[in-house]
Amino acid sequence: MKKFESKKRYVLPGDFITTAPLRLQGNVVLEGKRVIATSIGLSDVSADSVRVIPLTGVYLPKIDDLVIGTIQYIFGNSWFADINSCYQGMLLGQDVFGRGSYPTTSEMKERLDNGDIIYAKIANSDRQREPLISIADQSLGKIDSGELVKISPTKIPRLIGKHGSMIQSIEASTNATITVGQNGLIVVSCDETNGLLKALAAIRMVDEQAHLVNLTDKVKKMLESDGV
Amino acid sequence: MGGREANVVLLDENGIRSDGRKVNETRKVTIKAGVLKNASGSAYIEFGGNKILAGVFGPRDVHPKHMSNPDTGILRVRYHMEPFSVGERKKPAPSRREIEISKVIKEALEPAVMLEKFPRTAVDVFLEVLQADGGTRCAALDAASVALADAGIPMRDLVCACASGKAADALILDVNNEEDQAGQADMPIGYMPNLGKITLLQLDGVLTADEYKKCIELGLEGCKQVYEIQKNALREKYFSSGDKD
Amino acid sequence: MANLSIIDKLKRSKILDLLQEGKRIDDRALDEPRPLVIDIGVIPHANGSARVRLGDTEIVSGIKVQPDRPFPDMGDKGIFMCTAEILPLAHPSAETGPPQPDVIELARVVDRGIRESGMIDLSQFVLEKDKSVIGLFADSVVTDHDGNLFDACSYASVAAIITSKIPKWEMKDDIPVLIENQESDAPITTIPISVTMGRIGEFIIVDPNIDEWGCLDARITITTNSDGNIVALQKGGSDGFTFEQLVKCSELSIAVGKKIRETVKQATEGGQ
Repeated sequence: MKKFESKKRYVLPGDFITTAPLRLQGNVVLEGKRVIATSIGLSDVSADSVRVIPLTGVYLPKIDDLVIGTIQYIFGNSWFADINSCYQGMLLGQDVFGRGSYPTTSEMKERLDNGDIIYAKIANSDRQREPLISIADQSLGKIDSGELVKISPTKIPRLIGKHGSMIQSIEASTNATITVGQNGLIVVSCDETNGLLKALAAIRMVDEQAHLVNLTDKVKKMLESDGV
Repeated sequence: MGGREANVVLLDENGIRSDGRKVNETRKVTIKAGVLKNASGSAYIEFGGNKILAGVFGPRDVHPKHMSNPDTGILRVRYHMEPFSVGERKKPAPSRREIEISKVIKEALEPAVMLEKFPRTAVDVFLEVLQADGGTRCAALDAASVALADAGIPMRDLVCACASGKAADALILDVNNEEDQAGQADMPIGYMPNLGKITLLQLDGVLTADEYKKCIELGLEGCKQVYEIQKNALREKYFSSGDKD
Repeated sequence: MANLSIIDKLKRSKILDLLQEGKRIDDRALDEPRPLVIDIGVIPHANGSARVRLGDTEIVSGIKVQPDRPFPDMGDKGIFMCTAEILPLAHPSAETGPPQPDVIELARVVDRGIRESGMIDLSQFVLEKDKSVIGLFADSVVTDHDGNLFDACSYASVAAIITSKIPKWEMKDDIPVLIENQESDAPITTIPISVTMGRIGEFIIVDPNIDEWGCLDARITITTNSDGNIVALQKGGSDGFTFEQLVKCSELSIAVGKKIRETVKQATEGGQ
């Protein structure tokens, strides 16, 4: 049997995808019986659903996402962090100082000051208020070293790869430690200059060429080459 | 002839217009997507002698807060002309004309953008006319639509725009500055091509009921031509092979 | 320029660490400006124009030349006016509405450098003494902001002025009348070049980019003319300079300005 419209196609907002009665996943809208793309990306029609894998777009916080943020200011008993989204992440003083504590602004500043980078988890997010973030876990908190880079948040799944394959192969061949935020921010640390440059180049490559089928091979080839 | 100025030949005996075009021909249009480093999305359009930059920011925080909507994001548009963009130097502060054009462009884009997913935020569209040559609102709308798509703002459709009108008693596509000044009618049209919806429409001048109908049809032909150029600009940025280097 | 987003601490410490080794975050030497690209004639409808890219900072300048009334006590001179605006699409922090103090400072520093150098011989702009003169308006807009707008706007304005063509007017019945097709080159006497330097600790860096700008203790803009004389100065930022640092800055502005003047000359050769 012929496979039904399973091939991924490049689409732009307004482009027609299918009239099949499928479940609408992301970045599509139903106009009458026609499923229409709402983002620039790749259409993906499966047996029971249809979506567009976007190539550009803003990060929307989802509960349990790991993100990287920059502290912007302290207000009341909270820090507010730029999490590369349309909303600022709110980190409660209690999250750091413990439940029921009321730290002063200077105590808070001592822990986290404007411009500090944090690795955090989205603890709560709804339509009504600023998303709550938390650093209350061993693996979370302030990031003291490394290089902060930004790519389109829509390309983070590609950077991670299937079961983390892409990010693992970049780390393995460069000796770099890469902290990835779902919000498109990434911190790369590496003791060797060459490894650092290579890891940064690989990340840039994913950002620029996420739409290509042979991306994995291209990144591998680049990582195996001597120069950057 | 019913022109406002008689000393310009807007259409010669062979049906050729003052700038060498046929009646159903647009000026040369080029669009480039993603031209600004700091904006979330951007586009640059040259539409005949018009040169316009579009930059999109957001969705982002709304200031002042009372302008925000708890149920949806809002769209804000500013159309602005540089002092050197027109014949006589324009004072930098926004004029009534610029404020009205900002509003009609915003309302032309609103049916396309889907901001329900971004409550309490705003998407800002800044349109800067570096050089004006007749038909800036259509060209600005064309660039705005590409910049919004480039920013990843969800849209049901692109919005494309082109004017039609009447000069020397003939219906013409894409009215230039001279034809706007000395012609009989100018009708800018904005259009969502896949949904078949007209979202910007204005008219300066006099048309018969029959001419009105034909003028819209002619304008939509122009819109569809511009639509192809918009799509190519986005394809160029997003779907090229990446093997250039 | 108003509330540029907070520079992250990782970048800040990297900038400071590199400086200790005499290096900069974008691999430039301390006295090295970013690559300067000048395109002229980008706005054909204007009397002169230029687009300047200084690194990733981008400016478009356009010149309008038109008859005007002279200033009351300056009836024997034409009018020169220079403005600058940060377009809201240039940076997320740029605002619409009335210009902020830092934008006004930008416009005034650019204006002062050109005005005080006497770049344009305004005595040639008189149509009828005390009654009618020619005005030259140099308007610059920032379309992309990556730091040091002072120099980028200054270079764009200067290049646009050099390439501008001055139409001819004659007085008829007390009204200036345009004489078609009789344009002349702008009466240029010298080429003013501004060089902006920042101080971070004891280090002086030329042409700070936007990240370095966020780390500056103080800055200074020095404009020199073609003879290598200093014609205008502006110190900014919430800290100061020592006398020795200021002498060093003046030397830098002359040396760096000389090279940039050559770039501007080459780009504007042959006019529009």
